[in-house]
Amino acid sequence: MSAAPRPYTLVAELTYRCPLRCVYCSNPVDFHRSRAELSTGDWKRVFSQAAELGVMQLHLSGGEPVLRDDLTELIRDARAHDLYTNLITGGTLLDENKLRRFREAGLDHIQLSIQGASRESAETIAGVRSHRKKLDVARLIGKIGFPLTLNVVIHRMNIAEVPELIGLALELGANRLELANSQFYAWAAENRRALMPTREQYDRAEEIARAAIAKYRGTLEIAFVQNDYLSGEPKPCMGGWGRSYMCINPTGQVMPCHAAAVIPGLHFESVRDKGLREIWRDSPAMNAFRGDDWMMEPCRSCSRKEIDFGGCRCQAFMLAGNAADADPICRLSPHHGIVEAMRKDSAADEPLIYRDVKTSREIERR
Amino acid sequence: MSLDDPWRPRLAARARLKFDPIANQEMILFPEAALALNETGAAIVRLCDGARSIDQIVEQLSTKYRGDRDALMREVVEFLGMIRARGLLQ
Repeated sequence: MSAAPRPYTLVAELTYRCPLRCVYCSNPVDFHRSRAELSTGDWKRVFSQAAELGVMQLHLSGGEPVLRDDLTELIRDARAHDLYTNLITGGTLLDENKLRRFREAGLDHIQLSIQGASRESAETIAGVRSHRKKLDVARLIGKIGFPLTLNVVIHRMNIAEVPELIGLALELGANRLELANSQFYAWAAENRRALMPTREQYDRAEEIARAAIAKYRGTLEIAFVQNDYLSGEPKPCMGGWGRSYMCINPTGQVMPCHAAAVIPGLHFESVRDKGLREIWRDSPAMNAFRGDDWMMEPCRSCSRKEIDFGGCRCQAFMLAGNAADADPICRLSPHHGIVEAMRKDSAADEPLIYRDVKTSREIERR
Repeated sequence: MSLDDPWRPRLAARARLKFDPIANQEMILFPEAALALNETGAAIVRLCDGARSIDQIVEQLSTKYRGDRDALMREVVEFLGMIRARGLLQ
């Protein structure tokens, strides 16, 4: 086996617990089964091993990472290893005291999610009262002096609000606004029909975003993350499987991305049992789709295989039934017809499936 | 940006300079990515302390890098413009 590539980014999913119930949540649908979270000591060992491996960026994520009562200690430890430390939060549990403690511990950056520009749309998505609190917290984050990225998952129910979302990001003094079109995994796959924008909605939003990106350059950085069903372009998912990015879930499993557990037959090893270097370099799951030996046609002989890496392995499994297949988003995929049908399968008034423990149990039973 | 630009650049609040011992180079870290710097780039960024003007940065560099000062100025202006466009300088 050739030398493993160097990881640059670690997403540490500290917990699956969350007070929000967002219908597009990227946590696994069966998250209720994950109980025993890694301890403070486990995470500290992981941060140390990650820094040694060459990791530069640490994203503290969840669930809601602020639910960990050792978060300040973990931030301090991550900074002791000189990791660029970003907190990805829903914000509803933050207050000035906590933010000041995180600041003092060395937190570099905060990424705050909001669910829409209006309270009504935002709380329909989040499934709980939360919008006003989030706006208050966004202002506090700025007041304390943290750089702020505002992240909004975009879908059928809020895509018309893109102009207002840009206005809100300007008003809140965010440095960066991510208009992240919903990707259809986990809870978002359960809610796909309700979340899939129409072609007209999507093209309009993209046009507005493109104009705003140019207009606010230097003031507010705006990223428009495409909906691959509607853009038609396979995404270079995670920059390639096991190349530069790893995700560790709350129970300690090391994965190339947070969704990879949907692919059957892969065993993701845990940092409870082995060192991070060994798992990253040698574990069969981390090596399953490294490089391009695994590729089939049309990817194998494709001139774009080093650009998009054949798209997303999870999506290939979910839509084509084989994770080594071309991502059906690609028009060269023999399964592309599925995507053509799904991109038109968008419906208003579809009942929403909210992400919570009760529903997680129900979905598993059916 | 011109030669008498009063801009006194410093790294944006969200960006941090870090030496990468594995690749043996300085990097600007920010939430979504990192930018690897060559030796000259790192020397320029280290001088971006919010107090020095572009002129003063070039002055400082010219003690270390011999050659045409105008060429050095052009290089510094171009380089800083590039990282400012990425929102990494203020």
